[in-house]
Parts: sequence; C-alpha cells; structure tokens
Amino acid sequence: MGLEQFKNRNVGTQNYKMLDLGETPTSGMDKFKQVVQRTFKVELFIGLWVTLREMINALLRGQMHTVKYPFEKLPISPRYRAIHDMLRLLESGHYRCIGCGLCEKICISNCITMNTRYDENQRKEVSEYTINFGRCIFCGYCAEVCPELAIVHGPRYETASEQRASFSLFEDMLTPIDQLNLQKEYDGFGAVTPNADDNIKQTPLAY
Amino acid sequence: MSTVNIKIDGKEFAVKEGEYILNAARANDVFIPAICYLTRCSPTLACRLCLVEADGKQVYACNAKVKEGMEITVDTPNILEERRAIMEVYDVNHPLQCGVCDKSGECELQNYTLELGVDSQSYMIPDTKRETKNWSSVLHYDAGLCIVCERCTTVCKDMIGDAAITTAKRGGEALDKGFKDTMPKDAYAMWNKLQKSIIAPSNGTEYTNCSDCGECTAVCPVGALVSRDFQYTSNAWDLKRTPATCAHCSSGCQIYYETKPASIEDRNEKIYRVTNEWNYVSLCGAGRFGYDFENRVDGKDEKAFAAAVEAFKKADSIRFNSVISNEEALMLQALKEKMGVKLVNPDARAFQKFLSAYSQASGQSLYSFDFKEVMATDFVMSVGAALRNDNPNARYAFNNVQKMNKGAGLYFHPVGDNLVPTFGKSVEVFTHKVGLEEAALYLILDLFADTGKLPADVKEYIASFKSETTKTIKEKVMKDVTETVVDEETGEEKEISKKVPEMVEKEITVEKNGLVELLGKESDAFMDAFEKMMKKKESFSLIVGEDLYFHEKAENIAKLVALIERTSTVKVAMIPPKTNSLGVALICDLDDEAAGYTIGYNENGDFKLSALGAGDLDMPAMNQQEGTLTNMHKRVIPTNAALEYRGYELNDIMKVLIDAPKETVDWTASLPVEKGFQAVEFDSLPNGYLNDGTENRGYQLAVTLSDTGDIDVSKIDESGILEGEIVYRCNPQRQFNDFSDKAHEIFEAFGLYASPARAEALGNKVEIDFGERNIIVDVIADERMEGDIVSLSDFKSAEDVYRLFDGSRYKTVTMRKV
Amino acid sequence: MEIVTYTTVETFVNHLPEVTWVGSLIKAVLILAVISAIAGFGTFIERKVLAFMQRRLGPMHVGPYGLLQLAADGIKLFTKEDIVPQNANKLIFMIAPAITAATAFIALSAVPVFPDFTIPKFIPVLGGTFVPSIASDLNIGILFVLGMMAAGLYGPLLAGMSQANKWGIIGAARTAIQFLSYEVVTGLSILAPIMLVGSLSFVDFNNAQAGGIGSWLIWQQPVAFVLFLIAGFAETNRTPFDLLEHEAEVVSGYATEYSGMRWGMFFIGEYANMITISVIAAIVFLGGYSEGGLGWLTIILKVGFFFFLMLWVRAAWPHVRPDQLMWLCWKVLMPIAVINVVITGIVMMV
Repeated sequence: MGLEQFKNRNVGTQNYKMLDLGETPTSGMDKFKQVVQRTFKVELFIGLWVTLREMINALLRGQMHTVKYPFEKLPISPRYRAIHDMLRLLESGHYRCIGCGLCEKICISNCITMNTRYDENQRKEVSEYTINFGRCIFCGYCAEVCPELAIVHGPRYETASEQRASFSLFEDMLTPIDQLNLQKEYDGFGAVTPNADDNIKQTPLAY
Repeated sequence: MSTVNIKIDGKEFAVKEGEYILNAARANDVFIPAICYLTRCSPTLACRLCLVEADGKQVYACNAKVKEGMEITVDTPNILEERRAIMEVYDVNHPLQCGVCDKSGECELQNYTLELGVDSQSYMIPDTKRETKNWSSVLHYDAGLCIVCERCTTVCKDMIGDAAITTAKRGGEALDKGFKDTMPKDAYAMWNKLQKSIIAPSNGTEYTNCSDCGECTAVCPVGALVSRDFQYTSNAWDLKRTPATCAHCSSGCQIYYETKPASIEDRNEKIYRVTNEWNYVSLCGAGRFGYDFENRVDGKDEKAFAAAVEAFKKADSIRFNSVISNEEALMLQALKEKMGVKLVNPDARAFQKFLSAYSQASGQSLYSFDFKEVMATDFVMSVGAALRNDNPNARYAFNNVQKMNKGAGLYFHPVGDNLVPTFGKSVEVFTHKVGLEEAALYLILDLFADTGKLPADVKEYIASFKSETTKTIKEKVMKDVTETVVDEETGEEKEISKKVPEMVEKEITVEKNGLVELLGKESDAFMDAFEKMMKKKESFSLIVGEDLYFHEKAENIAKLVALIERTSTVKVAMIPPKTNSLGVALICDLDDEAAGYTIGYNENGDFKLSALGAGDLDMPAMNQQEGTLTNMHKRVIPTNAALEYRGYELNDIMKVLIDAPKETVDWTASLPVEKGFQAVEFDSLPNGYLNDGTENRGYQLAVTLSDTGDIDVSKIDESGILEGEIVYRCNPQRQFNDFSDKAHEIFEAFGLYASPARAEALGNKVEIDFGERNIIVDVIADERMEGDIVSLSDFKSAEDVYRLFDGSRYKTVTMRKV
Repeated sequence: MEIVTYTTVETFVNHLPEVTWVGSLIKAVLILAVISAIAGFGTFIERKVLAFMQRRLGPMHVGPYGLLQLAADGIKLFTKEDIVPQNANKLIFMIAPAITAATAFIALSAVPVFPDFTIPKFIPVLGGTFVPSIASDLNIGILFVLGMMAAGLYGPLLAGMSQANKWGIIGAARTAIQFLSYEVVTGLSILAPIMLVGSLSFVDFNNAQAGGIGSWLIWQQPVAFVLFLIAGFAETNRTPFDLLEHEAEVVSGYATEYSGMRWGMFFIGEYANMITISVIAAIVFLGGYSEGGLGWLTIILKVGFFFFLMLWVRAAWPHVRPDQLMWLCWKVLMPIAVINVVITGIVMMV
C-alpha cells in the first residue's frame, strides 16, 4: 500500500455515529475559556459524587453486587447447557434412552459413543454410553435430537475434576434412582413446545 | 440380443426384448418405486407400488414386459394417489420404533413413506398381536415390523431353493367394508391381502429347516428379518462399508464388510455384518455369517519372521490350500522358479489336471460357461457335485433355472438328497452308484449329442446299451357287449348292445436304455419324463463338480465332458473345489507330493504360516488383505482389507528372499497373461454391479482356443464302483474351510454327516477305519440326506482329511461305534 | 492576616525534654516499621475502597473481611523469584527500587508522625528515653522533605533506564518530565504559605495554625492548597496522573521488568510518598496537630482524608494524556502558582 492510499483509506466513514463535541478551540483565548469552563463546572465533582454514592449504596443500603460464588450461586436458566443428564422414566424408573444412536450421529464433535445389545427382555439395551467431555462443545444438538427426552443438558456447570472421565459415563449422568422424585423435566433445546399438540395431525386409531 | 424401443416419461430408451418394464427402467436409471420385486426372482405383486401407465393402461411394471414403441408414464395423478394410499396402509399399525430398529436409516418403508410424502394417516384397523420369533440360530423375525412384501419367501424359493418360509394366516380383523368404496382400488386390494397374511416357516413348525443363508434378512426391506447376532448392536449409518469378495468358496461373491469400533473400550474395528447387492448376487450362510475369521496380532513378531525366513531358505516344499489370493499364489510360484521348492495343493492339483485334460481334448483353455450363463439356460444338469454342499452359487443357479426359466434339470450324484427334487417338477435325480460318473456322462451324450458328430466307436458303445424288450401294458379298450334284457312289464326279451370299457393286456416293444438302468432308474419311466422335460427347451448347461476331479478316471471324464460340448449344444461350467483353486491351478506349477522340509501355509507343515493364529508366523486372513481371487465365473476379482493387520505378510518374506515389489497388490499386474490374466493394476479393478445387473467386477479371464483332433474316450470302467460302507468327503452347508469354522456364527460342526436313519444306526460317535489310518468323529444327522453314504467334513486342515481320502472323494471304510 | 509570633513556638519547643540520639533511632525504626505496614495496609484499603465504589466486596476470603490478604500478598512478594533481565544493568536495576523506598522514608524523617512519648522507666536499657514526634526536627523541614521527594525520582528513572525494555524507557522518560515539572508547582505553591509563616519548620506551621479551624492556612491560601494537592497527585504518581506505569499505554512503565520484592519496594515507596504528601497537606494547610489534646487524632483524620481522596479520585476519574499533563503543569498551574506568590507577597507588603 502506497503512502497516498494509506492516507486516503476509506476507513469507516459510513457507519460511524458522530457525536456533537462542539468546536475545538484554536485561539489561545478559546483554549483559556475552555479551561475556565471545565474548571468551574462541577463535572469533576459529579464524578466524585457518583462513586461516593455507589459506595454508600453498597455499604449502607445493601446494594452490593458481589455474589460469593462458591458459597452463593445464581440460579441458571433452564436453557443453560452444562454437563448432560440422562433422565429416567418417572413411572418405571428405567432409563429413557432407547439407544437409537441419533445423538451419536448428530454430535458435531463426535464425542458420543454407545454400545447397544439385544437384552434378555428382547429390548435394545444400552450397555454402555459415554460422552468425551474433552471434546464436547455443549452445542445441545444431542438434547435437541433425542426423541425420548432422555439426554438433556443439566445444570452442572462446575466441570473441573481430577479425571477427564469423571462425568462421562452413563451412570454418572443418569438420575440416581433414589432421587427420581427430584428429577426435573427439561425446558431447553429439544423439549416439547407448549403448542406441540396444535402442530401435529392426529393418527386415527381403531381402539 | 434384440432390443426394442420404448419411451418412459417422454425419453426414449432401447431396452432388451422381453424385459419387464421395471428392470428396463432400472437399467436406464429411471426410478419406479417398488418394494416387493427382486430382480432375479419372479414378481409377487404384493406391494403394487410399481404401478405405471403403459400405452394408456395401468400395469404393474414388475410383471409387464416391454413392447416395441411402448409409451410409459411413471407418475399420473391417479397412480400417485394409489401409491400414497399404499404407503399409508403400510404405515397403519407399523410400530413407531424406528429409534431402536436395526433397519432405520436404510429402511425402504421409511424411504418410500418420505418419497411419497405420507405426512398423515387416513386408515385404521385394530392391530393383531404378532409374536417375535427366532426361526433358527441366525434368523430373527419380528412379525410386528413385517409388511408382508414376500421378498423373503420369494428369494428363498426362487433363488435359494430352500422354500423354508411362506405366507401364513395372520388372523387379523377383516377390513371395514367402507374402505372399499373410499380408498384407491389397488391399495385396498393390497391391504386386504396384507391384513390376512404373515410370514412363517413353511414346515409348519416354529423353526425353519433351511441352510441358514440369511438371504431373507438381506432382502427384507424393513427390520422384520434381522440376523440374531446383529440385532440391536449397531445402526446402519455407523457402519463403514468395505467392498470385498467372499473368500469361502469359489463363487467369489461380492460382499460388503461393514465395520465399526468394537466397543467403547476397544476401539479396534470389528466386522458387524456382511451385506450384499441382493438384487444381483445371493450369498450363502458362510458368506453372510462367516466373517469374523480375522487374525488379530499385536504387532510384527520379528523373531518369528526371522525364523520364517530361515525356514523358507531351507524349505523343500510348501503345502498350501486354495484360500489364498492370486498374488500370493504368484509369489509362491516365483519362489518355486527361483528356489526350486515344491508347491503342494491337493485340491488345486486335482482341478489343474482335470482342466488340462479337458482343454487338451476340447482345445479350449477354460470351460465355456460361467454360472450366470448357466442361470440363463432352461435345462441344467449336474454331475459329480454335491450341489447342496459344494457350492451355493451352483445350487442357486440350478434352482433358479427351474423356477424362473420354466426349466428342467438332471442331477447325478451318489449321495441321496431330498432337497434337489424340490427345486422343480422337472428335476430328475439319479442316485447312482459311486464310480459310475462316466455312465452319467455317456447318458448325457446319448440324450443330447448329435449322433452325426459322435465318433463311431462311441456311437457304437452307446448303442450297445440300447435293447428292445417287449413289455406288457394294460390298455383300455371299448368293447361292444350285447346283453339280453327281459322287459319286466311285457316279458319280452330285448337285445341291447352297449360299449363297455375293458382292460386289455397288450405287448409292445420298448427301447430300453441300459445306461439309465445302470444309473439306477427305470428306463422307460425316465424316457417318458425326459420327453416332457425337453419340451420348449433351447439352451443346455452342464455343471461339473469336484467328484470328477478326484475320480480315478478323471482324465477320461474330462475328455467325455469335452466330447459332450463338441457334439451337443450343452455348455459346461465347472465348480473349482475351493476358493481360489482356479487361480492357483492357472498360476502355479503344482507338485503331487510334498517331500523334505515342508512349510505349511494354513496347512500342516514343519513350519507353519497361519492366518488362523495357530502357526509359527501369523499371516493376514482374507478379510485383512488386499488382493485378487479367481472365481468360478472365470473372473479375476479384487477384495479389500476390512480390518487392519499389524503383522507380517507373505510379501514381506518375499522381499527378503527374492526381489519383490513393495506391496502385495503390486503383483497383480504380473499375473500370467498367457493363462488368460490381464496386466492391470489392482487399483484399477472395479468391484460392484451396474444398475442393469452387469457384473462390473475385476475382469474376465481370456479363453484361448486351439485346434485339437478327435477326442478318444474309453469305456465305462465298472471296476471303479465302490460297494459297502462308503464315506464321502464333503462339508456341511455353510462350512468350507478353517476360516468359516472360526467364525462365531457358523455352528456346523466337524463330523460325520448322515441321513437320519443312518445316523441312528451309527450312534453318536464312530471310528472310521480308512485302512492305514483311522479317525474318530461325531455323527451328525442331516435331514436333507438320504441313503447310506455318509459325509465326512474336510474343512479342518488340522484333521488332514485329504490325506485320509488319498486323492479321492469316496472311500470304502469300516465304521465302528465308539 | 494573623501571624503567629516566634516566641510562642520557642516556648513550646523549649518545654519538651531533650532529644537523644537513641530516641531518634527508636523513632526512625518506628517510622520504618509502621509506615511500611501502613503502606501495605494502604494497598488493602485501596482495593477495598475501589471495590466499594464499584459496589463490590473486594478481598474477602483471607482472614476476616480479607484483612490478611496483605499478609498473603507480602508473603508472595517476599518469596517470589528475584528476576533480573539478561540485558539489564544489574547493579542499577537492583538499586533502583531501594532508592524509591529509601527517599520516601528519608523524607518522612523530617515529618512529624505520631505523638512524642517517653518510654516508661521500668523497661530496662531504654527506660526513660524520650521519643520525639519528628525523627529529626530540622528547621528547614519542608525544604528537606520536598528535596528528598524530588530525589525520589531517581528510583523510577534509573529503574526504567536500566532494564533494557522499551516500555521501561518510556516510563523513565515520563518519570523525568512529570516529577521535574511538578516539582516546580509543588515548590511554588507551598512558597506562599512559607512566606506567610516565615519558617520552613513543620512545627512552626503547626503552631502558626493553633488558633482553631479559622486559623488554618487553607482559608488564606486556597489556590496554593489546590495547586499543592494537584501537584501532590502528580508527584505520587496517582490517578489522574499515573502515566509512569499506565498499563494501557506502556505495560507497566518503569516497573515492567520488576517482580517480587523489588517491585514491592516501588509500591512501598509510592504509598510512603502518599502518606508524606497527605501529612504535609494536613500540616501546612489544615492546621496539623494543633487542636490541643485531640491533635493527634485530628491529624490522623486529616491524613486519612487525603489518603482516601487519592483512592476516591482514582475510582472516579480517568487519567490525562502526557501532553495534557505538561500543558496543565506549565501553562496553567505554574503561572497560577507564580501569580499566587506575587499576590501573597503584595498582600504581605501592604
């Protein structure tokens, strides 16, 4: 780039919002006036007042912002996408996963793997299931594609652990059977929309 | 072949005459939806989706043949409505379990439901409880998922020949009559049939009595028929397909190995199943289920390798079998040329001798027909092959001729078999004495040869079997009888004459064919049947099997076969005894006997190379190596490695011993051109089928012709007839070699197979005394066998059954219960 | 304009016990220990105050209300590896922080900090020793303090120049211009009060304002006070004049290559200087410790106020550009200071 071009680059003349800053003083007198104005206007002290006021708010009026994180936690959105949860059926307590493999297929970071087999009850059993959290980018596609609402994103965002495998097994993600009553339905990506019934046609049944 | 011109949707195509519209369209890449049709089988008209408009009339594309100038419209509004209604009906009560279904992702019901835009359901009927069943050790049938397209029953009957499954009553509710008026006609008819039927084993039991080939699972468009082992283990889309060639028998069928990592812990690739292009090739049980014979090794065993190189340096002979690629055979041949070792391979050696005798007599370097051509004939004969066991493709061809071509067949074999007669009404089975194979060929000469072309002595010899006898037959004659009847009222006597049938004995002269009698059939009954069989027959083929190569008079037999071809329109196809026997026979100069220090390649020897993991140095199995095979269709076909192999290959030894190229497949281009091979690189060999069914795999061996003189054949040597307790060297179905035996889904055991009656007489275990040596084996009943001859398996090379039989397939032995 | 008479001061001083060299030594050690601690504590206070002004809690977890945070920081600074850059002038690089800290504490020797007291008699050896309020009660105290603080510029200057780092050089250059320039303003602004008091001793300044709030010099010299305060901010390198080590521009300026305790010494020096400036401002303009018995409490409050003001200003205001800094010094503050001296002189003459 030549000097001429360099100087005449058309840098962002289009989308800038220009502020009205007034005239820049040129003569000595104007500059002096500006100094006097700036000195005797109380702008500086307004600044001081604002910070002092906030200090008073914080200390005396209980408006302190700080959340003492490990001891206090903010509630997270139901759409938050943290470490996955595998849900159970509320009626039987059996895990919901049917081993269809759609999460495995849709996973864009290829981090889901499962082993399935034909079990004694003639059902497809998910004998092993794992998510490689070293790879997972928490995009939520697995939860969205899951036809059974079996794999969802849970609220566990504290994912530091001694071992990479700490969260990654089926048993780790599965709702503990004794906490089944605490299992929450997922409202995030892939959950049934409130108007789902209106959006589908009913299949006639002869029963 | 003559062609006709047709127009499909305004586009002109020149297609084969007499072709079904559907096949014509498919050959030209025009899509007509169809579920129930199988290319090489008879149309069933179960799905009715292939409805098209031809010259203004609605016809089913799968059973309407093309005519000159025919104008075909694939989609008309009416047809589209029919098709949508049909798919809706298929979806009625179909379980919504795509999530777990093994077919999901490659399911034709899913595909067509989507293709025809079925987004809502208009029909309903109460469902019937349909039980899930395991039909056999490999077949799993989920009736709930079945759409009764009858592809499984069709392929089982028309291709495989077992006819082990059929449609049965479902016991579902009758359709609401209201639907008849409101829904499209074909959809209603299809639904009516669908609602009444279900698939079940045809023998009336819960279990199929079949060869467990699994072809029904391959053709099933939905997840109703699945291999028990594969069920619920993998989704179709997770599997990586590797086009390869099945290396169990000489059919060399094209297969896909489908692989993915074994489990979460074990990330090594594992073969989950084998699939095939079922419209163009049918697999047997060994091909479909015998896939996990790979030899897993951890790495290169340098010590063993060094020992192997030393062993090769001092080796006097190399013993190997025909489960070997052309490239490896070429390496061994190169070794023989450079280092002078003897190459010993009994099965290929016998075939090589037979083939050379045949070509010397006929002037043709190879036999005339491949089995695809056999399948296109309408009269097929088989001599010296245990059709059911030796080669599935030969059996499928024999069966398919009966079913599809309104064909006829002659089956000559000493071991009684009750399946072959069921292939068709026009199948005559000669269960002749062992050693009379020459007689069978003389009979064929007699039946088909142009007497003008036959050498005088042969003509005379055949004539010597003919004799005229008088035979008394009963004939119905109408006879005038006069009766005197007394009128009761008048008392008058009247004479009434009437005709009364009466059986009269009459003597006629019949020409008696001594050859037929010699082969164990009644001459005149056969000749009558034969006359019927010959009606409207145009093309003839003869399948020649392994018995003949191991026959004492193999050379004479080869000449007879050549003579049959020369003097008649019968064309011959041969079944190479093992996987690549043809390739080995063409590539290697084989020796009869091993001597001195012997290296065994998958065989016994002083130093063993083994792809079975039991030898001194590991070798890759056929699903772990690239290379070409020569199959019985006279094709050189490529196969690919489905699984990784980390150890040494034969080529690594070659690199040390002789000047070998870098890769095994670099040998491909050096296969001997003078034997019919082509100098082409491995990577340029295709391995697939075209839409019209053309086999686009590898290349065809070139057949060279030369002039030869008269064929001099000798007479039937009746001294070769065996009497007494006879053992036949023959594998059970689905077993071919150690590799099929290694596969976990092949259950057929090593043993002595006998007809149920004979098995009962023999007990559980017998000691077979071959004279010098003996063997103790389990006795296994085979319901398909008849007669007293028993079959001893040879698939275990460790048992060294070949040596027991000493270059023959039949032996007279003494058996003792153990 | 009331002028405190000389006799009063003399009487006051003469009433005190004699200052021995032991007393001075004890005082010096006391100042060093306490001011260092306060300087450390100042960092804690700064963090807390800034946090409160942003409605945060600041350090909370080490000790009650995070009080031991400064101990933790101290331990960290003491135990960190002493890194000297490869191409630095090692000797100067190592001496520079000491110059800053030393000049800051030397300046404090002439400033009255803490009340005087006598060590009780029952304590052995030192018993009965009088410890003065000022380690060294020079009669030119103000001049000495200003001089020492000016000498303190060598710390950052040498540090920046010795470390072979371009940010350090820029920081050093800024140090030179900023400190030298504002030295002028500080001197001129405080000249007017000196003229009024007629002494350079802090004690005299204190005594001169002994007449209660009304007698504080701030009322007589408001302009000088403001000028002194502004210059004081600049001298102590505080926002809005913290150009020497402004992160956004020069990484860390003269301190870029420093870490561990050497880096810590710059900060002790800076906070000591903050205290010095606060004390000077309190004594010269806000009456010092002259309020009878409560004098020591009031001066602590006054010093505390100035210290807090520095933090407060940091929380509220942005910093200026170097050119604005120079412009302000030479074109605004210096002329005003001169005019202020002239006017003061004229008023005194009249």
